[in-house]
Amino acid sequence: MSEAHNNAEASIEEQLVAYLDGELDAETGRRIEGMLASDAQLRRTLQELDRSWELLGELDAPELAETFTQSTLEMVTVAASEDLQQYRAEAPRRRRRQWTIVGGGLLAAGLVGFLVAAWFKPDPNQQLIEDLPLLVNVEQYRQIDDFEFLQMLSREGLFVEEEGDETQ
Amino acid sequence: MLEVREDNAAAFEELVLRYQGRLLTVLEHLVGSRDLAEDLTQEVFLRVYRARKTYVASAKFSTWLFTIANNVASNALRSRSRRPEVTLQPRDSGPLGPRPLDVMLQASSGQMPARQLDKAEMRDVVRMALGVLNERQRMAVLLCKFEGMSYADIAQTMELSPQAVKSLLSRARGNLREVLEPYLQHGDPPVVEGREPRTE
Repeated sequence: MSEAHNNAEASIEEQLVAYLDGELDAETGRRIEGMLASDAQLRRTLQELDRSWELLGELDAPELAETFTQSTLEMVTVAASEDLQQYRAEAPRRRRRQWTIVGGGLLAAGLVGFLVAAWFKPDPNQQLIEDLPLLVNVEQYRQIDDFEFLQMLSREGLFVEEEGDETQ
Repeated sequence: MLEVREDNAAAFEELVLRYQGRLLTVLEHLVGSRDLAEDLTQEVFLRVYRARKTYVASAKFSTWLFTIANNVASNALRSRSRRPEVTLQPRDSGPLGPRPLDVMLQASSGQMPARQLDKAEMRDVVRMALGVLNERQRMAVLLCKFEGMSYADIAQTMELSPQAVKSLLSRARGNLREVLEPYLQHGDPPVVEGREPRTE
């Protein structure tokens, strides 16, 4: 028997079960009814499916002991009380954790704020620090009128030595 | 359930009273053991209580309840399957113990067999047939048959698509038909490996 045939058979049985369960739309339902009217084998399959389904009704509903409800409620009460105790016991640790998180968060926010502020607003003393060698020697530079001569001295490394001497 | 959510103890008791029988029926037929089913029923109510604050009013309560039951039962069956244990044995049919099925059956008459079947014996056979189904098929069958759930509700409960439920129920009912039909037609007891009815 081909796989296609098996699939088609499974699909028809699927539709029959859905038909019995009232899960088909009206059009598909009518199509199945038309097939049932003309196919005795299909009618037999439907009957057998229905009959075995009805037999499940023979399964008895278990009888509950009178104490069952009580023991269920007691079990839930005990569990709820244990949950509450555990919740209370963990409260100090939970509070500590919350404070740690809040403190850490504030610290991190402060640090981020400082870095952002420093990024957008540079230090005004930075330029002064960079120009400090010039400011220190400004009187000596003024004595030399020729700018090119100054540049030559700079290339010769004269100012570097002076700066080095000063830092020592 | 909305009152349970607001910590109303009386409402919770009312909820237990209303649903415990239905829950126990489905769980007993699902796991095949009364003791385990009772434990699981209580476990489900405990989970309902603990999850009461997460219940959404728009959700159908029975669907929510049986979703929890399905998860609880699946976990229990999974952990039980790791232990070597014979399950889903049919119960004794009476104080004298079970008798052979064929003794209990009388000759069939007409198209639909109308034998005077012993009810307890028939229940054993049906239980056995149910035991043939895999866990998911059994759950879908029980929700459909005993809870009267639509395919859409079963799908929601079992976290499947409605089309998957349609296929699942079709295969399940095909299996039930295959196992039960010889019994209905000729009184042949189902032969299921490891699950034959006791006949002494």
